[in-house]
Amino acid sequence: MDTWITLARGPFFRIALAICVLGLGYRLGVVMWQLLSSWLRAGDQRIPVRAVFKATVKWMLPTHLFRLRPVYGLASLMFHLGILLVPLFFTGHVRLWQASVPVAWPTLGSGLADALSLAAIAGLVLILLGRLLVAASRDLTTSEDVWILLVLLVLAVSGYWAAHPMSSPFAPRGMLLVHVLVGDLALILTPLTKIVHCIIYPFTQLLSEIGWHFPAASGRHVAVSLAKEQEPV
Amino acid sequence: MAISCSYYLEDCDTRELPRRFLEAFAAILSHSNYAPVLDAAARMKARCSRCAVSCQVYQATGELRDIPCERSELLLKVYRRYFTLSGNLKARLGGGFVLTDEHINRMAEDFYRCTACRRCKFDCPMGIDHGLITHLGRWILAELGLTPKALVVATREQLEGKTLNTSAIPVPAMKDTCEFLVEDCEDLHGLKIDFPVDVEGAEYVFFAAVSDYLMEPDTLMGNAAVMMATSGSWTIGSGDFDGINYGLFYSDRMLDRIVSAEVAEVKRLKAKKILIGECGHASRSAKFFVPTFCGGDKAPPVVNIMEYTYDQWQAGKLKLKKGVIKERVTYHDPCNISRSGWITEQPREILKHICADFVEMTPNREDNYCCGGGGGTVSVDEIREFRTLIGGKTKAEQIRRTGAKICVSPCANCKKQVAEVCEDHKLDCRVSGLHDLILLAIDAPDFMKIPKSDENEPADAGIKEA
Repeated sequence: MDTWITLARGPFFRIALAICVLGLGYRLGVVMWQLLSSWLRAGDQRIPVRAVFKATVKWMLPTHLFRLRPVYGLASLMFHLGILLVPLFFTGHVRLWQASVPVAWPTLGSGLADALSLAAIAGLVLILLGRLLVAASRDLTTSEDVWILLVLLVLAVSGYWAAHPMSSPFAPRGMLLVHVLVGDLALILTPLTKIVHCIIYPFTQLLSEIGWHFPAASGRHVAVSLAKEQEPV
Repeated sequence: MAISCSYYLEDCDTRELPRRFLEAFAAILSHSNYAPVLDAAARMKARCSRCAVSCQVYQATGELRDIPCERSELLLKVYRRYFTLSGNLKARLGGGFVLTDEHINRMAEDFYRCTACRRCKFDCPMGIDHGLITHLGRWILAELGLTPKALVVATREQLEGKTLNTSAIPVPAMKDTCEFLVEDCEDLHGLKIDFPVDVEGAEYVFFAAVSDYLMEPDTLMGNAAVMMATSGSWTIGSGDFDGINYGLFYSDRMLDRIVSAEVAEVKRLKAKKILIGECGHASRSAKFFVPTFCGGDKAPPVVNIMEYTYDQWQAGKLKLKKGVIKERVTYHDPCNISRSGWITEQPREILKHICADFVEMTPNREDNYCCGGGGGTVSVDEIREFRTLIGGKTKAEQIRRTGAKICVSPCANCKKQVAEVCEDHKLDCRVSGLHDLILLAIDAPDFMKIPKSDENEPADAGIKEA
């Protein structure tokens, strides 16, 4: 068991981290290139930067989510806060990160880390229930939507139990192994699944804005490509 | 297979639709900026249904197909399968989605159930612009000939017909209409107005939605009265006097050609700016796409008539009487000018001044609900029942809650749709343009006033009617 844990926290973790970082880096590079090349060929290159920035901040602080579906909004906020902050700032995680990345940063107190973990678990359960019980959501839900949520739920629950062996119905070392392995899996899944939104999301407003800034000759070029230059309306 | 939609289609070649769809899709992706948006949306896979709560069509039907992200998924599915590496690999391994005639038929139907109002963008947690994806989907379909016949026939007349406008009004008929309006304005309102045609060197060339010449005389008289009262330098161009741009609803190729024709008319008349009448989509298509297709910041500036009127009023060049409209009035924000926050306050400030009882409908401004006839669907008469009873249901409820007797809708499309919504939902409310009411409230300078005679009605006769 201990050998497996060492492997999962050592080489497996480094490989997973490398896939995650390289994958997200690649995706970020692609988005940047797409934005730049689209802007360069836009007929009107005046981008309302202030409005786009304002919209981006508004989406990053999703107060609008509470307006129409407050339970979903709260669940989403709890889940995202926990799933972002605990992996990065929980003391045990920081030690693990620092084995691979030689930089120090502050850690969360254990009480706050516990609260965030429980918030993430509650948020995940609420979102899963919403996916399964709200008719419109259920009809739109794909298997990927469900299994990714389940992976993250297992990650959060096993982490909490690994940190609190007294409350765990399973063997603490076993929980730790599950937690580390699922954590490695989550890192690998990040650039390859819809979790990639963590890197694309800050640019969606700008992408939409640039999408409406058509190249000046787009219509004429499409007509040439489709041999329709002389075709009447 | 034969394509079957709830709207009329022109005869078109339906052979090898999937291959031709993919060719058109590939050509458009190569020459446009849509690919990054599709790529982001396809990877983030936002299908949480939050947008359902913001769509007035879904709220009325409760059908899965009317949830914006489900509609976008129709196109994203094609994109993932045929334009991404993972989709190609998956297909080679013997699985996944295959584009069929049925899928194309479904897109042709569902993309025109959407009113392209873009309200759903505000409620997508991922910030995906489903309106842009619908816009793209309609363009691809248009290259296959799958566009409502009403839109294509009107655009054909505008770009290649004898009259060069969507309502097929010959220039002499337009001029006659203007003369009648001048006489009517004198008789009914005691005001002298003018519709200058082909005046070279004017500051503004005026493009109304051409249907106003047939259906909205009061709006046009109000426009002309404001220009006369403020000594505005303007002209109507006989070469192109139609602001309507159905290209915005179905094809960027047509959008380009129509705004380019407007700019050509401005150049022909050696004018400086484009002045768009009361019409949401005409305003948006000119404001945002004249710079796109006609020279960026070198393109002629575009001004909506409501902006002009408000600025003149604020500058003290236009006097409006306070509180002369006695009936309860509400204001419908046309999506194409309000969703981006472009024009929301100017008409409200004017209405609050000239109306004794102005009430807001809620939600409003950027968050306003579409009238139900957006995205060109108002011109498709064969789907009226869907438009008014389903698409317009929320708007009818909004208007009913205000108790207003007049709903101001400064848009040719919204006016037609809201009037039909009121009729079909049996609302005791009539529809008006903003300038229809301004015409009744204008405190005209002396040079505009026609001396009263026995045959003339008093200058404020219309106020009582309003």
